[in-house]
Amino acid sequence: MTAEVTTVASRAVSAVDGYFADALDALEAWQLDIARDIAAARRSGPLTTSRLDELVAPYARQTLDTPGISVYGAGFIAALDSLADAASHLAWWQGPQRARLTLANQAINKGNIDYSELEWYRVPMLTGEAHIAGPYVDYLCSDEYTITVAAPVSIDDEFVGVTGLDVLIDTVERDLTPRLVKLGSAITIVNSAGRVVVSTNRRVATGESLRGDGYRDAERVPCVRTPLEIVLI
Amino acid sequence: MFQPIGDAGRAALVERRIAEAITGGVLAPGTKLPAESELAKLFGVAPVTARESLQSLRDRRLVVTRRGRNGGSFVVETANAAEFGTRALRDMSRVALRDLAAHYLAVTGACVALAAQRADPSEIMHIRGRLDRFTGNDPLVWRRLADDAHLEISALSQSARLTREQMRLQAEFSPFLALVDASETDRDRSRSQLLALLDAVSEADSAAATSLVRESITEAVDRLIDRQAELAGS
Repeated sequence: MTAEVTTVASRAVSAVDGYFADALDALEAWQLDIARDIAAARRSGPLTTSRLDELVAPYARQTLDTPGISVYGAGFIAALDSLADAASHLAWWQGPQRARLTLANQAINKGNIDYSELEWYRVPMLTGEAHIAGPYVDYLCSDEYTITVAAPVSIDDEFVGVTGLDVLIDTVERDLTPRLVKLGSAITIVNSAGRVVVSTNRRVATGESLRGDGYRDAERVPCVRTPLEIVLI
Repeated sequence: MFQPIGDAGRAALVERRIAEAITGGVLAPGTKLPAESELAKLFGVAPVTARESLQSLRDRRLVVTRRGRNGGSFVVETANAAEFGTRALRDMSRVALRDLAAHYLAVTGACVALAAQRADPSEIMHIRGRLDRFTGNDPLVWRRLADDAHLEISALSQSARLTREQMRLQAEFSPFLALVDASETDRDRSRSQLLALLDAVSEADSAAATSLVRESITEAVDRLIDRQAELAGS
């Protein structure tokens, strides 16, 4: 790897880590507070979905106002079977109106929405660490092409849910591409599955997978704070 | 006229969400719906809008409202997903049915072709895992599982537009697919078709994925049209 290449890649790492650090910090800011609030609420009676919504609302508002990154949706997703009146629940606010998410079957028969295998829930639960999931088409909440940043919440050793926020890929492209273009050479950001998040290369599309011979020899440098990779193509 | 713009459409939207949940079997017969004010809060609409959508649901005989101490609005006891599907099929013209299927095929075909190029095999494994864990013989559970699997494959296209369109069409088309999958033998066949589709997507074979979708939809439409003829004869 030439010195020049290394410099470009490490600058790209700083740009990407710096961008998502704001999102990670925004969630970490209330990760402990919500755990404390939930623990207190449980001591005074069974925790219901509406009580959880009340607890989460101020934190979600604060997250939607995060400076430096335009957040599309935010909230808390309860661990499965952790609430008194529903098997699952998303306390979630999103969109320009900051409307509370209402899923018909969740609202009416408290139906079980099984998110146990979705990346934004599964990875923080299993690793105990914050995670950046996506890009993926979020057909549950926003119906948009999204990245979800999620951090686990635990009371003592019990996993009680994840705090999360959504950033639309549209926003990521607008925010991040100009910063990467300044670095001079072609830069593509991919996730751990090799899927393109954004690229300064006009022929590399967001959403495609970097597979095959053309990409095998490209320089790759992992980011430090985020599970993303810089590929110089 | 001074009602906020969009509120008229909102009643229809709330009605559609609940109606789809009832006809799709998500809300079981006899389920009590939340009170009008609660419903308004849940969907973020004015109480008058919630009242209007409940009225439409009553008019469509999907919901009954009883007065008194144990009163409220309930999903009608006769609500039966298969019955709704059968009635809709009987009332639909052949040209409308074929057109719906053509639209569904165009969108789903495009989704799976893109998904084959873009999905990671590990993502397909998750979908397959869920199908493998299904051992029961409940047609409603199977339908929901198959719908979810198709939606998840579509989302792997990485196209939000196509996925939204697929979701919308699926809500329309799925009650008919449920009629095709009425017997256990039929469901086994659908399951093998779905597994073959997952293989094609996993192997990045766009052409195979598209033609598998085409074959299964064409077959479903043939059988629906046969069923329609039987219904007309009976």
